[in-house]
Amino acid sequence: MPALGTFTLLAAFVTCAYAIAASVAGARRRSTRLVESGVGAFYFLAALMIVASALLIHAFMTGDYSIKYVQRTSDAAMPLAYKFASYWGGLDGSIMFWVSLLAIFGSVAVYTNRDRHRELIPYVVSVLAATEMFFIFLMVIHKNPFATFLTTPPADGAGLSPLLQNFYMAIHPPSMYVGFVSMTIPFAFGIAALITGHLDDAWIRAVRRWTMIGWLFLSFGLTLGMLWAYEELGWGGYWMWDPVENAGLLPWFTATAFLHSVRVQEQRGMLRVWNVTLVIVTFFLTIFGTFMTRSGVVQSVHAFGEDRELAWLFTGFMVLILTFSFAWVIYRLPLLRARHELDSFVSREAAFLANNWILLFSAFFVLFATMFPTLSEAVTGERLTVGPPFFNRWMLPIGLILLTLTGIGPLLAWRKSTTSNLIEQLRWPVLAFFVTAVGLYALGVRVWASGLCFALSAMVLTTIAQEFVRGAAVRREASGTDLFTALIGLVGRSKRRYGGYIVHVGIVLMFLGFAGEGFKQDAQALHKPGEQVTVGHFTVRHDALKVTTDRQKQMVTGHLSIFEDGKALGTMTPAKWYFNKREQEPTTEVAIRRAFTEDLYIVLADFNAPTQSGTYTVTVNPLVNWVWFGFAVMAIGTGIALLPDRAFAFAVAKVPEGAVTAGMVLLIALLPSAGFAQSSTVPTGSTVPDSKSSLRKQIESDIMCTCGCRVAMATCPMGPSCHGLQELGPKIDAMTAKGMTREQVRDAFVAEHGGQDILMAPIDTGFNRLAWFLPYAIGVVGAVGIVVAAKRWSHHEPASAYPDASAQDTALKGRLDDELRDLD
Amino acid sequence: MSARTIKIGATAAVLVAALGGLMYTTLSEGTEYYKHVDEVMANPTEWQGKRMSLHGYVVDKSILGKPDTLEYRFQIQSNGKVISARYTGVVPDTFKDGSEVVLKGQLGPHGFDVSPNGVMAKCPSKYEASKTPGAPGI
Repeated sequence: MPALGTFTLLAAFVTCAYAIAASVAGARRRSTRLVESGVGAFYFLAALMIVASALLIHAFMTGDYSIKYVQRTSDAAMPLAYKFASYWGGLDGSIMFWVSLLAIFGSVAVYTNRDRHRELIPYVVSVLAATEMFFIFLMVIHKNPFATFLTTPPADGAGLSPLLQNFYMAIHPPSMYVGFVSMTIPFAFGIAALITGHLDDAWIRAVRRWTMIGWLFLSFGLTLGMLWAYEELGWGGYWMWDPVENAGLLPWFTATAFLHSVRVQEQRGMLRVWNVTLVIVTFFLTIFGTFMTRSGVVQSVHAFGEDRELAWLFTGFMVLILTFSFAWVIYRLPLLRARHELDSFVSREAAFLANNWILLFSAFFVLFATMFPTLSEAVTGERLTVGPPFFNRWMLPIGLILLTLTGIGPLLAWRKSTTSNLIEQLRWPVLAFFVTAVGLYALGVRVWASGLCFALSAMVLTTIAQEFVRGAAVRREASGTDLFTALIGLVGRSKRRYGGYIVHVGIVLMFLGFAGEGFKQDAQALHKPGEQVTVGHFTVRHDALKVTTDRQKQMVTGHLSIFEDGKALGTMTPAKWYFNKREQEPTTEVAIRRAFTEDLYIVLADFNAPTQSGTYTVTVNPLVNWVWFGFAVMAIGTGIALLPDRAFAFAVAKVPEGAVTAGMVLLIALLPSAGFAQSSTVPTGSTVPDSKSSLRKQIESDIMCTCGCRVAMATCPMGPSCHGLQELGPKIDAMTAKGMTREQVRDAFVAEHGGQDILMAPIDTGFNRLAWFLPYAIGVVGAVGIVVAAKRWSHHEPASAYPDASAQDTALKGRLDDELRDLD
Repeated sequence: MSARTIKIGATAAVLVAALGGLMYTTLSEGTEYYKHVDEVMANPTEWQGKRMSLHGYVVDKSILGKPDTLEYRFQIQSNGKVISARYTGVVPDTFKDGSEVVLKGQLGPHGFDVSPNGVMAKCPSKYEASKTPGAPGI
């Protein structure tokens, strides 16, 4: 199997090379056949990567510890879901996961745009394939996930860090990668447009959509990362400007800037060089982020460790990207000239421009501060560090300025706003700002940054409400329907504009959460049973300390009684878990009492078992849940902006319903209790009868011997005198004597040991069966892809140089629709 | 040069200068030295009173905790040089004999005073285990 995996990667490498060569040659010679062959090779590449992924997942599921990567990042005792997640849990696999995602996304992008942007496709394919080729090259020469041990492989894996065995951690990296990967597609289209010189505004429409998708996933990934830090790391916050967090934030800034400035290009034909640059920079930053995480250039909690060779390879690739891209930008400058100039500084364009500068400055600042320790060491030889206070000091005013722009920008007219127009538009928002500010001051809020943030939020929300109400009123008059229908029609007609406003609402909600930080209170204290501490209006009393054990870990749990203003609220149980084999890294199980106004967040920091005393960090985090809630709103807004017209045409009335459901789903996904995150119980129980003759033998082959050999009882090399066999054997006999079936015995053992790791293989039911099935399913999908590709190549229809008239019509129609839609 | 170019140039220059100046001043407040114990102990008086992140390894059996309080005294070392440190607060799980730590605080006449929440112990395994010699399978 490992050999097959390595071979698949090599084949993928060769296919990449072919796809690049064929598409470029085809485009230059205007040979449709060559181009199609290149595109076919590109699809084939995706199929190959799917097969390779299936092979690796299969190795994880079956515990093939002869593969080094599998051995390093998983072990037999892990629940299946985490074995699956181990695929991207380490460096080698994460690179492969990256390539696979890019191959799939790229194929989808090429497929959906193959008619509309016919002239760009060959170069899109070659840029995407070149990027993939670099990563496959990394794997083949340096980080092959299929590398095996040369000598005898270990019997069991080293296991995944317990910190990563968490619900959010299983989904946070894929979401980040999807965000990063989808930013490659706008880049590919941008470069293709530069190379071909088709720099009309058509390409930007293809790019816009993918940037939005990438942006959504990036936001999702960042939010999940925050949730993970909040629930799992136990320091009471969710963002600490760690280099790796920053790496994800950088492309987010530039992508956000692009999504705004692209409006200016569409409306006014300005900022064309700027937009191309943003697309390139965004892509560059995704690669740079990958580089930072994987090369050990910066110190970080979740860097992958130092790797000089990889650092040099990445540096070379990054230099290549920048030189190549900007050389083309400079070459095409004459074609990128703006059609208009800025008429006035009081205009929508100017607001967008300001927004762009601030976002870009944020990206620059975060990059600078993240790299500062490395830079200072290189320049002065002294390593100087900057901490979160430095970041906060800068990002706080920047955030507030952005929030102000969010409130004012949408109210400005294109080209030039007149004074009377401005007063008319800004009256209510500004009023809301002052009313909130005065109200807060009267209520005794004295944290200026948070107070200002609240007042600005009120202003932005008023702006958005005003936009919706005025737009709906105009539409109602025009169409003669009721206000509600008019509102939906309004959103349907310009989805991006109103979807964008909903995204703004989400951002405002997130800012409310950030502002809540200003009112955070915490206390650290050591308690003997009966002692208590008061934080805010919560009183926390330490009742007892309990130590319990299950098969996987030892758990130390503090039992606390919570009172709010003297009223009993119940108990909370923060804990520390010591996983077997990793006793040196206990995990902190935070107890959180969630509410929309504030979270009570308790960490068991230390304990003394003999005296029953515990040390707790108690934090009151006001408004923190609005951050997660704000993301849900943001996702809904982006979803509306992304909805295809066709879906909207017949679904106009359905939108609010669908949106509400989507919101609920997201909320449920985002706000699970800490308990859910840790639950790894697997359904057991099956009642298939079995023959009794070889019962004991069968059971022995099911159950792992406890002597530490990690093989089945039946094959334990220690022989019949093994203490494990002697211990387990009589138990099995006793159970079978009671007439228990094979399954019942197995269940009894699972129950007794608190986990399925006593079994040789996970029980073949329910979710487990799905997990077993998955690699095969993925493999089959990939294989089918390969067969389809091979078939298409083998009997080539007499290809006409041009698509038939009807196909061209649809393409043309689609393009026309696009342009008409964007006129309003 | 046209008036337009001058205007744009002047605006850009002012903006860059203002931001640069602001960055420089905040940076000098916001930064701190990142030092190893042996570097500091080579000339301790020079470093007294300066804020820094101090890197070293906890000396075996040096951690003393006052019973029923959160006060700690311990020693950290690197390359044979030792420094004693005082700290009040909660220490991270990974803070124990021999662990690699970074302390934030400043050097006083009697040793290193760690500021609140200033103890950071490195995780023994990061996202992926570091390449420790002798570790299985690496």
